[in-house]
Amino acid sequence: MSDTTTPTPATAPALRTSRPLSESLLNDKWDRCLSSLLIKSGLGLSFGVIFSVLLFKRRAFPAWVGLGFGAGRAVEECDSSFKGAAAQSRDGLRVLRP
Amino acid sequence: MLRVTLSRSRILLARPAAARAQWLAPSRTAFQQRYFADRKTEETLVPGSQSLKQPYGGVPPVPGVAKSASSTVDTNTPAKNIPILPPKPEDLSDVSKQTLTPPTTVPTGTGTASVAPPAGPTNPPKKSRKMRKFLAYLLVLSALGYGGGVYYALVSDNWHDFFTEYVPFGEDAVGYFEERAFKKRSQGRPPALPRLHEQVRGEEKVRIPSNAGVSSRPAEKADLGGKGPHVSAVDDNVPKPKPAVEKGAAPVTGQEKKNQAPAKPEESSSSHKLLPKQDGKQESSPAATPSAKKEEPRPAAPAPAPAPVQTPLVDHINIENASEPVVQDVVKILNDLITVINADGAAGKYSSTIESAKDNLKKVIGDINTLKATEQKNAEDKIKQLHAEFDGAAKQLLQRHEDSIQNQEVRWKEEFEAEQKLIKEAYEQKLKTELDSVNKVYDQKLKNELLEQAIALRRDFTTSVQNQVETERGGRLSKLGELSSSVAELEKLTGEWNNVVDTNLQTQHLLVAVEAVRSTLENSTSPTPFIEELAALKEVASNDPVVSAAIASINPKAYQIGIPTYAQLIDRFRRVATEVRKAALLPENAGVASHVASFLLSKVMFRKEGLPVGDDVESVLARTEVLLEEGDLDGAAREMNGLGGWSKTLARDWLGECRKVLEVQQALDVIATEARLQSLLVD
Repeated sequence: MSDTTTPTPATAPALRTSRPLSESLLNDKWDRCLSSLLIKSGLGLSFGVIFSVLLFKRRAFPAWVGLGFGAGRAVEECDSSFKGAAAQSRDGLRVLRP
Repeated sequence: MLRVTLSRSRILLARPAAARAQWLAPSRTAFQQRYFADRKTEETLVPGSQSLKQPYGGVPPVPGVAKSASSTVDTNTPAKNIPILPPKPEDLSDVSKQTLTPPTTVPTGTGTASVAPPAGPTNPPKKSRKMRKFLAYLLVLSALGYGGGVYYALVSDNWHDFFTEYVPFGEDAVGYFEERAFKKRSQGRPPALPRLHEQVRGEEKVRIPSNAGVSSRPAEKADLGGKGPHVSAVDDNVPKPKPAVEKGAAPVTGQEKKNQAPAKPEESSSSHKLLPKQDGKQESSPAATPSAKKEEPRPAAPAPAPAPVQTPLVDHINIENASEPVVQDVVKILNDLITVINADGAAGKYSSTIESAKDNLKKVIGDINTLKATEQKNAEDKIKQLHAEFDGAAKQLLQRHEDSIQNQEVRWKEEFEAEQKLIKEAYEQKLKTELDSVNKVYDQKLKNELLEQAIALRRDFTTSVQNQVETERGGRLSKLGELSSSVAELEKLTGEWNNVVDTNLQTQHLLVAVEAVRSTLENSTSPTPFIEELAALKEVASNDPVVSAAIASINPKAYQIGIPTYAQLIDRFRRVATEVRKAALLPENAGVASHVASFLLSKVMFRKEGLPVGDDVESVLARTEVLLEEGDLDGAAREMNGLGGWSKTLARDWLGECRKVLEVQQALDVIATEARLQSLLVD
């Protein structure tokens, strides 16, 4: 990635700002997916912990359930993003349905 | 805890009141004590009244009993012994009656008040007095404040505005004081009369007549030319005697009215006119009637009549020409004396003296007359002399006047002649200048005509010369035209050759420019903009359609930013290839699981080399690499363009770069070909 950036300073920022490089598209998606997985599973876990303390007498299972919920949601979002990305974007195109 | 307290309180409440009374009553009687837990009885007292307990001793009073006692008060017990309770509506009238007699006795109870307090209704007066005091203070303070406000409003303008705007009636008050101050200031003057006002209303209008006041009038000129007293020195005396005589007559009339009649005729100095009037007077004094010459016999005639015995009566004196008033007076006195003497009858005694007196008188009168005559004569002489003098003076004046007129005439004549001469000169000068100008104009006109003629002659000369030359040319100089045409042909030929050389030069320039662009592209190690070179190329091409089309086909980004070099493209392809390999095994519409699977499997896949046959991603990548190594950028791009799905998406940028480079290369090729074509087309 860093190699493609040309030494001339004038051209590099113009390229960068316009849009990400195409070969790094998949990697970017992976990064975003992993971060969202971390955050959402963490959120789910924390909710699970709170529920277990408040309602379930400090049992362990609500924490696991929350973790599962968060992770599942993150995976689902990631999946949808992967699925939609390969095909060419249809922004600005009219879709004729049968 | 709470429950415990609640239960305790409940227990306390539940305990019967009777039992409490049982064990509380004696203690209360003993110590006059009351607990908070006790029910509050009718111990509430009106301040200043006695407690209810007192008349009943130690026993606590029953509410009912107390009430009955209070209700029965009006009839049985005297008002001073019973405690005063808040009056009931029905007892109000009675209570008010009772309050008129305040209690005087000292109460025997335990109340702290040693003296009987004033009855209930005594409080309202106190209150009202306080109220009245308060009201009075308030009134005084407000009045003072208001007064102060008004005064300050007269002093300060700001306060004036505030006061008049916000304080009720402040404006009227301040206005009243201001008006008073104004009146005081204008007291010296009489009180304002409604004079002006009435005038405005139209009553009592003062009318000034049109000819009132001072008016102009031409001064009365003493018209010396007209008739008047100044004309003659003689006439001046004529009108004067009349008023003098009248003045003289006035004292006469004052002295004696009876003698007025005889005096008047004498004034007229005509004896015959006197006669008829003196006839009327004869009745009283017949002696005065006879005329001057027959006076003596006539008075003598009547005189003997009254006194014939006595000596003849003395005649009354009568004097001619007694025009002088003094003389007349003297005559009158004498006549009076004569009449007295006559009346006395002593004529004989005084006749001689009277006669002498008469003679003397006559002499005196004669003297006076002569004096008068001489005086008159002198006066006339003087007048004549003055006349002569005046005439001489007038003549002198006239002479002088005539001299001056003559002088004036002479002077005027001289002036007139001088003026005439001047005018004549001026006219002659003007005439001369006019003549000069006319002459000049005429000369100029003549000159102009001459010039015109000269010009016309010259023109004729030139035309004739031209005609001559033309005729000469037609003959001898006609071969010059052929020469010039041949020279023009030669010039054309050389021009064509120049054209050929120019186009050659142009094509050379074009080639050079193309080579310059190519060299900059090849020599650069990093993408550099080559917009200047391209601009130079376009300039050299000079609107060659092919060149301009080729330049337009290049993506503007390519020459603005620059295109990557070949090495950079290969380098980038390697990185793209690794990424593409990761996504090589992805199915259509892949989810996370397939992505993960593809990522893992791509690690363990075998890599192909050379030019494998097949459409799979791995073989395409291998072929592309080989092509790139061979330098076939076009083929490599075609191979990569055959990919699909995620692989193509990942390789999109690289493909774009390749295309840009290829476009530039193509455009440069086209331009170089065009230049070559141009150079070939010249011959």
